[in-house]
Amino acid sequence: MRCMKQSQDGARILIEYCAGALDPMHAAEVERHLESCTDCRALVERQTELWEALDCWKAPQVSADFDARLYARIAREQAAPSWKKWARRIFEPAVPAPFWKPLASLAAAGAVLAIGLMIQTTPHPARTPQVHADQVDIEQVAKALDDLDILAPANSM
Amino acid sequence: MEAVAALERDAELMLRVREGDETSFALLLERHRAPVVHFLYRMVQNQAVSEELAQEVFLRVYRSRATYEPTAKFTTWLFRIATHLALNWIRDGKKEKSQESLNEELLDGAERQVPDRQPTVEQELLYAVKLNEVRRAIETLPEKQRAAVMMHKYEELDYAQIAKALRCSESAVKSLLFRAYETLRSRLAHMA
Repeated sequence: MRCMKQSQDGARILIEYCAGALDPMHAAEVERHLESCTDCRALVERQTELWEALDCWKAPQVSADFDARLYARIAREQAAPSWKKWARRIFEPAVPAPFWKPLASLAAAGAVLAIGLMIQTTPHPARTPQVHADQVDIEQVAKALDDLDILAPANSM
Repeated sequence: MEAVAALERDAELMLRVREGDETSFALLLERHRAPVVHFLYRMVQNQAVSEELAQEVFLRVYRSRATYEPTAKFTTWLFRIATHLALNWIRDGKKEKSQESLNEELLDGAERQVPDRQPTVEQELLYAVKLNEVRRAIETLPEKQRAAVMMHKYEELDYAQIAKALRCSESAVKSLLFRAYETLRSRLAHMA
């Protein structure tokens, strides 16, 4: 089996293995590979050590008055004038929508409109002489036909 | 199966909050208070600030109750709000103004987290040094990598949830985590 560590996907699988996030079948596959690959074994050892080091960072307990403070804030907000509540809903949404998304749509629509207008209003300089040339050709052909008509009775005589 | 049940339970509770049931909000708070505070604590590395931000998270949840629709996992939505607030706080540069003395807090934290058997002063100091290095290594990660590691390692969120919280693709999350763990492995290699 090719060394898993060599590819980013393989290395990610090894990290998932260390986190215990692989299903038993995939974990067994990784274990079989580790038996024969010293490079991957070294990565797994280092990642396991890192995992253990990160484990030593315990977050402190939440303050006992956390809920009381939160409910006091909620009560203050409920008691606020309604315009303030609406302003909060508008300016402090739970998760603000990314501002660039509507801007990107607008920009795309604007670009399509601008291209459309450019196509509509741009003169076609190449076409005019062409039309003129066509007209000249038609006139020449018509004149040649007239000449032939004039010559025709003379030939027939 | 248990996770699906929990998901349905959270959404159900939130829908009840929407209908004005305050008890359901208390239950949601009880279930998610600690994970949200802990996540924020590790992001901003300051207990007072993390609790303040966590309050803002739950306040926003409460404020949005009327328009809540269970389109995504409740936890994902919660961590999306928490991540947004934490990243904003970090970007605003508020950290410098209010960060407690790291060493003071470390020694204090070490006291709070002593194991059952009595550690010696030397063990306590070693622990404090180790913790300090872990915190500093995490602190130096770019914001998004840090948030991804916190959600992956400590809150055990899956790639899809982290992706939604960070507003990026799952493959981007995998890359963020890969690079973050690579950096941490090299920075903390001497601790092994």
